Amino acid sequence: MTVYLGNFSLAGAVLVSVLAIVAAAAALILRSERAVQLARWSIFGTPLFFCITSGALVYAFINNDFGLVYVASYSEKALPLGYKIAAFWAGQEGSLLLWALILAILSALAVMGFRNWRGKDYSITLGMLALANAFFSILLMFAANPFQLTPGGAPLDGRGLNPMLQDPGMIAHPPLLFIGYAGFTIPFAIMVGVLVAGRTDNHWLSLIRRWLIFSWLFLTAGIMLGAWWAYVELGWGGYWAWDPVENASLLPWLTATALMHSIMAQQHRGMFKRWNLALIAATFLLCIFGTYITRSGVIQSVHAFPPSLIGQFFFVFLLIITLSSVALFIWKFSALRPEHELDSLVSREGAFLAGNILLVLMTLTVLIGTVFPLLSGWGTFEPVTVKPEFYNKVVAPMGVLLALFMALGPVLPLGRIKSKQIARQLAIPGILALLITAAYGGGSAYGWLAQRDFSNLTNELSWALVQRNFWALVCVFVATLGTLAVIVEFSRTVSARKLNTNDNWLLTALRLVDRDHRRYGGQLTHLGMMLLIIGVAASSLFVTKKQLRLELGQSDTIEQYVIEYESIAEISRENFVAVEATVAVWNRNGKGYHLHPQKRRYNGWADSINTEVAYLSNWHEDIYVSLAGWEDSGQIAVFEVYVNPGMAWIWIGSIVMVLGSAFCILPRLLTIFARQSNSAQTVLAAKYPLHRGRQNEQSVAARGKEVEPVAS
Amino acid sequence: MAGSRVKFLIGGLAIASALTFLVVAGVRDGWVYSYDVDEVVEVASFQGKRLRLHGDVGTENFVVNRAGLSAQFELCGETKQLEIDYSGVIPDLFKPENAVVVEGYIDDDGIFRADTLLTKCASKYEAKDGESVHGTPTLMDELGTKSNFGTNATDVAEGDSK
Repeated sequence: MTVYLGNFSLAGAVLVSVLAIVAAAAALILRSERAVQLARWSIFGTPLFFCITSGALVYAFINNDFGLVYVASYSEKALPLGYKIAAFWAGQEGSLLLWALILAILSALAVMGFRNWRGKDYSITLGMLALANAFFSILLMFAANPFQLTPGGAPLDGRGLNPMLQDPGMIAHPPLLFIGYAGFTIPFAIMVGVLVAGRTDNHWLSLIRRWLIFSWLFLTAGIMLGAWWAYVELGWGGYWAWDPVENASLLPWLTATALMHSIMAQQHRGMFKRWNLALIAATFLLCIFGTYITRSGVIQSVHAFPPSLIGQFFFVFLLIITLSSVALFIWKFSALRPEHELDSLVSREGAFLAGNILLVLMTLTVLIGTVFPLLSGWGTFEPVTVKPEFYNKVVAPMGVLLALFMALGPVLPLGRIKSKQIARQLAIPGILALLITAAYGGGSAYGWLAQRDFSNLTNELSWALVQRNFWALVCVFVATLGTLAVIVEFSRTVSARKLNTNDNWLLTALRLVDRDHRRYGGQLTHLGMMLLIIGVAASSLFVTKKQLRLELGQSDTIEQYVIEYESIAEISRENFVAVEATVAVWNRNGKGYHLHPQKRRYNGWADSINTEVAYLSNWHEDIYVSLAGWEDSGQIAVFEVYVNPGMAWIWIGSIVMVLGSAFCILPRLLTIFARQSNSAQTVLAAKYPLHRGRQNEQSVAARGKEVEPVAS
Repeated sequence: MAGSRVKFLIGGLAIASALTFLVVAGVRDGWVYSYDVDEVVEVASFQGKRLRLHGDVGTENFVVNRAGLSAQFELCGETKQLEIDYSGVIPDLFKPENAVVVEGYIDDDGIFRADTLLTKCASKYEAKDGESVHGTPTLMDELGTKSNFGTNATDVAEGDSK
């Protein structure tokens, strides 16, 4: 039953999306409003069919329908209900169905949002969205069908969900990532529609910006959740290994980050048009490319998927989009002449440009590193593997420099400015940041001199120390400068505004923030990034790792923690058995905690062991304990212990980044307030948010010397 | 405009040279030659050179000691195999017949001394081809037949030939 339902609804999705392509083509050629409506309604129809398909698969999982290979491979009777539903996207076919479902829903939402848009560009955009939907429905129908029957009939029980995936982080990670990937289809479709139809204005950018921020938000959340999962589940003490699959999700993130900034320069000043075209196409392409390299088996990854027909489907799709994007770029090259030259490198556009160049260089580095094993195998070269050290050495310094531009960018105005103005903007944050950095440097040098002995300090070791501390100082300076620049600029604007109103500080600040979500959401995102940088720098520069071999009751130290091995026992739970050690950890204040690292074996996975780390996290560092092995019934146990400074800031920074970008696309919250107390212009701006940017530009000009850069 | 072009040129050169410096440093630390086992066995030129090898863990002479942080095993390619002496934490998915990557160098005695052992987990997302879906494994069966991490695991080989 579910098999029929699933297959019929998949066929329905194929038909409807192909119908949408045909209708869009007809609308373009015949200029018929009926054809436009047909294309529109077909795009609304596609998610309905995918919902039925997905519903059928979920139903099969809930009912333990092991007659389906997919259900039998990823579920079992004893699996908790939540994991049974999440097993939907545990494998290749289901995860592609999830992607298709999300893409169809987002396409329908986007089309719903284009209420009053008509014309050639609209028809082409509809056609592009339909094309993407058609690709996924055909892929699912013919190459990744999740409704294949188990040969030889249904087994009594399924294989079960891979233990490593039985984690809340892993349930939410793929859907978030796919919302991001699928979301980037929409800006691409709009851009193709607008450019092919021959429009050269910049108004359409306001249509894609919301989608860009939306997709970026989910991609960021997805990537960071993946990192968090790797940290708590994989047990090697880190969160990012530069594995091809991780890189595949980072690549579109980097180009989308560049795009979100350079698009502002196009919106407000008509610059970077060609560059934006390239970035929109690249972001979409990289989402597909990442999927291609990881699922086709062309690149060796720890996340190996078996080679399959899916790779060929993606390859053809990728090839078509790449070639058409290049063709579009060449065709429209002269039409996309910039309306302004770059006035000065020291301006907001200058910072955008510098940041963009760095982001694109980072993208290229990661891209080359990821595909290099493939390239080096072809020629007469010796085959090379690129290790994480390569990326850490090359990408990390670029990231630090990028953070510097990030710190400066938001406080610089658009267009030409005087150096005096910059000096005034940056004097206070700059001096404060220097003082804080000096204090940090002095403090850590004092601490270091006070407790280390220099007897075993080799040249190599001291050089490493110098390097580490140099980068630490740079990161502290950049992050504090970035944070302070935003805070100082904000408090200045609030106090300037407060002079004109009779409101109190809080209300003035709230109104100011609510008046310009994009600007302040963007700054909040930057603050999140600064926190993240501090966390990443601290944890990668100053991690301590130690293997402790302890007898029962014995203790040892790592950094300023005392670790005591208290006991070990075999425990049994519903779907796994585990050997669990109990370890007492005393921190520097003498406060004790118990940690319970385990080695588990899940039912149905007799030949695989799963290490469960135990960790203790506070605002400045994590202590992370993994049980490596034991001897003589646990008389002796071996632990791998990490002290990871700054870890919490990585997660806090990520949350702030996600909140900041969510704030960017939230509608205004205090509109009613604003209407009561503010001028008619604010009301207009609230009514016509698309033109808000330009009005702000005018109002800045009108206010003359009040330093408040344009809405971001 | 000429002035700004010069500025751009200088800026571009600065970026390019900084990038070159970074890439050179990155390549020195982060690139390693990578081969299948068959390609390096009994080839003198590979001796002493840092390498990454791909292969499957052999079922014979498989000795793993989790508490002692070491493992000795054969890394098997299509036709040839190489003796590996690894020291470090044993990854969860390390077991005979699984695909692994080791990094280290071939010693004078022809043994590969590895300090890095990475497991690949195709089963993470997909059951291997031909691997049938399990029947009804109970906890009892499982613990009864295997004691891979029985509490008496000692320095002696677990010698677990599957």
